[in-house]
Amino acid sequence: MELLLSNLAHGFGVALTLDNLLFALLGALIGTAIGVLPGIGPVATISLLLPITFGQPATTAIIMLAGIYYGAQYGGSTTAILLNLPGEVSSVVTTLEGYKMARNGRAGAALCIAAVGSFFAGTVATIIVAASGPLLTQVALSFGPADYFSLMLLGLVISAVLAQGSIIKAIAMVVLGVALGLVGTDVQTGQQRFTFGVPELSDGLGFVSIAMGIFGIGEIILNLERPEARSVLSGKVGSLLLNREELRRSIAPVLRGTAVGSILGILPGGGASLAAFGSYMMERKISKYRHEFGNGAIEGVAGPESANNAAAQTSFIPLLTLGIPANAVMALMVGALIIQGIQPGPRMVEAQPDLFWGLICSMWVGNLMLLVINLPMIGMWVKLLQVPYKYLYPSILVFCAIGVYSLNNSVFDVYQTLFFGILGYIFSKLRMEAAPLLIGFVLGPMMEEHLRRAMLLSRGDPIVFVERPISAVLLGIATITLGAMLLPGLRAGKDKALAE
Amino acid sequence: MKINAKDLWAGGLLVFLAVIGLYINGGFLGIGLEQHTLGTARRMGPGYMPMLVFWLLMGLGILVLVLALNSGPDELGTWQKLDFATLAAAVAAGVVIWQVMDRMGYSNNYIQVGFACLVGLLILAVSPAWRPLGMTLASFAVFGLALEPLGLIVSIILLCGIASVADREHRPLGVAAMTLFLCVLCWFVFIKELDIRVPLWPTII
Repeated sequence: MELLLSNLAHGFGVALTLDNLLFALLGALIGTAIGVLPGIGPVATISLLLPITFGQPATTAIIMLAGIYYGAQYGGSTTAILLNLPGEVSSVVTTLEGYKMARNGRAGAALCIAAVGSFFAGTVATIIVAASGPLLTQVALSFGPADYFSLMLLGLVISAVLAQGSIIKAIAMVVLGVALGLVGTDVQTGQQRFTFGVPELSDGLGFVSIAMGIFGIGEIILNLERPEARSVLSGKVGSLLLNREELRRSIAPVLRGTAVGSILGILPGGGASLAAFGSYMMERKISKYRHEFGNGAIEGVAGPESANNAAAQTSFIPLLTLGIPANAVMALMVGALIIQGIQPGPRMVEAQPDLFWGLICSMWVGNLMLLVINLPMIGMWVKLLQVPYKYLYPSILVFCAIGVYSLNNSVFDVYQTLFFGILGYIFSKLRMEAAPLLIGFVLGPMMEEHLRRAMLLSRGDPIVFVERPISAVLLGIATITLGAMLLPGLRAGKDKALAE
Repeated sequence: MKINAKDLWAGGLLVFLAVIGLYINGGFLGIGLEQHTLGTARRMGPGYMPMLVFWLLMGLGILVLVLALNSGPDELGTWQKLDFATLAAAVAAGVVIWQVMDRMGYSNNYIQVGFACLVGLLILAVSPAWRPLGMTLASFAVFGLALEPLGLIVSIILLCGIASVADREHRPLGVAAMTLFLCVLCWFVFIKELDIRVPLWPTII
């Protein structure tokens, strides 16, 4: 226990430096802004800002990027409640009850409970991350290469399974991502693979180019194809205070939402959206006031908002302790860490205590900042929505182009991003999910390294993957998950839940 | 047979990519390009993992294809004749320009790639259905072409100009104001604060 406290103290020491505070605030504000704005999400923004973070030390960079992620959860709920416009996927659920509450004149209360619930969930999640970090690291240190390989395989399988749409296609996208990761110099022999003699490709395909091309530009093109309907703002927010009854009713949903979110966030492929949906379903089933759902029940805001914030924070756990990204945003974090020269994995907690503990404490500080700053600034955030998309998307393109160029001072990267923009467009038209591709791209090279090492150690015997107990268990879980999800019954249930 | 068109094309794309991958890797039905040594399972050469991955991709692609034959109608969206025509013309123009510029020696800094993409995408954008895709990416191509010879400011102006054609709601005054704002903002953020090494004004005058 004292170890935890002293580690947290160290973390706060790192988090509260002027630089880190500034960047946490910047990240949180940017995150809230893009959470408010529909048409641009945390994945596109983080990939957009990755090049800018390279000039900073790794801890500061990750602090800002993390701030964008959980800030977006706050921002998305604001427009969901006030305008029935979910800024983020995870805020869709909040529109159901939150907008009704706004129509009943209780917008302020909804906003307040969303913020307070999120802060509470963020605090609890921070403690969970802090406590589980060293524990999981201990476990992971006994992993051999075969176990790592199986763990990563499990991560890929779960993220494919929990993706929207056809599972077979999602798995194919994961494999395609792994294939893209193969481009470049083979680490073990130094031979160039799939580079066609192009020198810029000897380090592999640009991670930022893929992310920005597929998620950023692809998204813009899709938005331009759909003529958007702008809803006119009804600006009245009213009092921000909750009355006593609302407060009383919110306590249990916040607690339940935090629990649900914390668990679902750790699951690869999960993340904030799944947690919000899960919490809403749960509240609808077990809340005492479920008859009010559909007319503005505060439980429908308190639960999901706490859940999505808890999940946003706990989804860092697999990343920080095992080096496995739980969702597309975490895949971007892995990319950012690797480019900063840090190898994500169980050794990271010991090798980079500043980063680990500093990030955890900074997440809590960021949550506090968001609570204190955002509620008074709600009017300003809503004004942001008045900016027409036609001015927004060229700005995104400009930042994207300059950012991608500045990575290597090479125009090749701009063309690479262009190519992935085309590819991203094709993927979305053919309903091929891009998030599994990104996760496969990030994990592929690591998996290959572990596979080769495992085979070398076992002298070419593939039995080693089921011989070692950890590896066997992980592979077993992967197979069961895959098999279960392919059963029509479960698949229909998942699709129904995601479609709502 | 209720053909799912989207899945059919998706599966076809996957199989196509897998075949290309295996071909380049050196092992598709005996024909190969670069000969990456495969090695054995014990000592994997650089070609082993790609082989595994691409065979797996091919298998999944075929599975998607087969399943697409019966999973219900899901059309690709209506294509007009103009869409086909512009697509064909764009690809043809792009390839031709690439090859011609390559032979003529204009290949430093990938200028032949940029030009080919720019012309191809502008041709594509003639058809209204392709316009968002064509114009948005053409603005990127022009940025890539213009950045080093013409400097950041000119590149931003060109990018905004072309990109704004993609959205019919743009008015010239609005575009001009936005471009000015972006030029100033980018100067501040990228040149002053982050000090990236990129020429601000044209260097070829």
